Amino acid sequence: MKDVIDVMELQREKSRRVQPLDYRQLDFSGGFTPARFIFECGVKLHAQPLTIATATILMHRFFKEVDQANYDCFLIAASTLYLAGKVKDDPLKIRDIINVAHNTLHRGSSPLEIGDEYWNMRDAIVQAELLIMRILKFEVSIVHPHKYMLHYLRSMDGWLGKEQCNAIPIARTAASFLQDYHHDPSILEYSPQHVAVACISLALQCYGVRLPLIEDNDDEAWYSIFVKDLQKDKHWEIMEKVMEVYNKEPEIVN
Amino acid sequence: MTNKLKRYEKIEFLGEGQFATVYKAKDIENGNIVAVKKIKAGSRIEVQDGINRTALREIKILQELSHRNCIGLLDVFSQGSMSNVSLVFDFMDTDLEVIIKDNTIILTVANIKAYVLQTLQGLEYLHLNWILHRDLKPNNLLVNSNGILKIADFGLAKLYGSPNRLNTHQVVTRWYRSPELLFGAKQYGVCVDMWAVGCILAELLLRVPFLPGESDLDQLTKIFQVFGNPTEDTWPGVKSLSDYVEFKPSAPVPLKNIFIAAGDDLLDVIGGLLVLNPLKRKNCTDTLKMLFFSNKPTPTVNSKLPLPQSIKSVKELEKPSLKRKLLDSGEGGTLPKRLFF
Repeated sequence: MKDVIDVMELQREKSRRVQPLDYRQLDFSGGFTPARFIFECGVKLHAQPLTIATATILMHRFFKEVDQANYDCFLIAASTLYLAGKVKDDPLKIRDIINVAHNTLHRGSSPLEIGDEYWNMRDAIVQAELLIMRILKFEVSIVHPHKYMLHYLRSMDGWLGKEQCNAIPIARTAASFLQDYHHDPSILEYSPQHVAVACISLALQCYGVRLPLIEDNDDEAWYSIFVKDLQKDKHWEIMEKVMEVYNKEPEIVN
Repeated sequence: MTNKLKRYEKIEFLGEGQFATVYKAKDIENGNIVAVKKIKAGSRIEVQDGINRTALREIKILQELSHRNCIGLLDVFSQGSMSNVSLVFDFMDTDLEVIIKDNTIILTVANIKAYVLQTLQGLEYLHLNWILHRDLKPNNLLVNSNGILKIADFGLAKLYGSPNRLNTHQVVTRWYRSPELLFGAKQYGVCVDMWAVGCILAELLLRVPFLPGESDLDQLTKIFQVFGNPTEDTWPGVKSLSDYVEFKPSAPVPLKNIFIAAGDDLLDVIGGLLVLNPLKRKNCTDTLKMLFFSNKPTPTVNSKLPLPQSIKSVKELEKPSLKRKLLDSGEGGTLPKRLFF
C-alpha cells in the first residue's frame, strides 16, 4: 500500500496546526465555507476521501442551482455528506453526522440529547437530502479527477524515474492541490481529466521539476499524451483557480 | 415536479416487491407505455433514514448504463415531501420466470440459445463496466413483446474490483447463489453472476428450478449432490472460507444424466458455468466464444421467440391492422400480386 497517498493523514496533520474556526461567524464566500465545513466533518467521521469529495461536489452543484441566501449552508453541507455516504457505499450514520455537525458548529458543547432538537435536525437533513436530489435531477453520479490523476502519476513514475519520484513528493502535492481545489465551485466547470493534469502541472512547477525527453514548446505540451483537448490557456486558467483557493483561506481564517 | 405526476398516467397495477410497487403507465408526452416503480416509503424509521439506499444504488448505476439487454432508466421523479421516489423504466411485457413456468410454451434449443445469448451480452456489458448484478434470476430477466430480453432490478448491484473493499455474502436469491457465497466469501467477482446464469440456463432446460434449496445448508447439499464435494485440490482455499463446513462426501453426477436432451456443446456451456471453484468458472466473454453459440441451430430471432398466450393474443390483435397496411401499400404497386413466369 506504499503507493497510496494518505490524504486523510495529510488532512489530519493540517487540522492540528489550524485554529478551530467559528463557522457561525463566517459568510458563505462562494461555497468555500460549507466545503471547509464538509471537510472538517468528513475527516472527523472517518469518511473516505472520495466520499468527502463527492459531498463537496454535490454541495457546489446544489448552490449553483439555487439562491444561496434561502438555505442554511451547514444543513446542506451535512445533508450532502449523508447523501455522499449513500452514493459511495461508505456507511455514514445519520446520528454520527448530526453529532459531528452540531459539535463542529457549537464547539465544546456536549452531544445532543435525543429530544426535539435532535429529531428536528434529523428531519431537516432527510428533507434536505431529497431536496438536493430533486434540484440535481437525481443525477448524483460523479466522475472524479482522482482516478485520472492516479493513472497519470503512475505513468509518470517511469517517465521521471523512480529516484526522482521518491525524492520529490509530486504525487503528494498534486493530491493535496486536488483535494483543496474541492473548496472552490469552479471545479464544476472543468473536465476531471483537465483538473487532474493541472494539479500535477502545478506540483511539477512548485518543485521546479522538468520532465526529461521533452521540449516544452508552443506546439506540444507534456500532458498531450494524456489529454488531447486541453489548451494551454485553459491549463493556466485551472492552475490559477487552484492557487486562488489558497488566497481565500486567510480571508476566512483571520 | 408536479407536472411529472401528471406526465405518467397510471394504467394498471403490475406487481409488488419488497421495496417497491410497479405500475404500468402511459407517458402522455410521447404516448409510450412505461413501467413506473414507486419505492415504498416504508416505516417511520425508514423515512427518517432518508432516500432508500436500494433505490439510490439503482438510480446511480442505471444512469450510467445503456445497452439493449439492460433495462433503461427513462426518468426519476419524486412526489410530496415524503422520501418517496419513483423510477420510470422501459415497459416489459413478461419475464423469463413466467416463460419457463408456462407449460404451453415449447422452448427449443434455438429459443434457449437466444435467451441465454441476450443475458450473457447484457451481463458482459455490466461486467466490462465493473458492475456486479448480484441478483440474477429468471424473475429479473424481463422480456418484451418483441422478444428482447433485458436485465433488470439493480437494487443489489455494486461496483467491484476494489481490492480493499469487503462485500456482503448475503446476496443473490438462494437457488442461484454460488457455493463461495454460501461459504461466506466476502471478496468475489463476476463468478457469482456466472453461477446464477448457469442455474438459469439449467432451469430453461429442466423447466423447474435446478437447485431449489430449502435452507443455505440444504442449498449446498443440493449443489454437492450434483457436482460432488469440493476438495483443496479442486478448489484451493475452500476450507479457509469463513462459513466452510464439511459435507458428507458424494460423487459427482455426469451432467449428461441430468440434461438428457442437451447436446454436447450445450453441456459444455453448463459445465463451464457451474464450476465449484469460482476461479475456474468461465466469464461472459469466454462463454460467448464457446461452440454452442456458433453451432447450429442458430438462435431464434427476437420477434419469433415464444411468448405467453396473454401477450401473444395482444400481438395478434394488432396484426390485422399491420396486414391491412401492407395490403394498402401493395396497391401502390410495390408488392407484386402475381408472379409471371
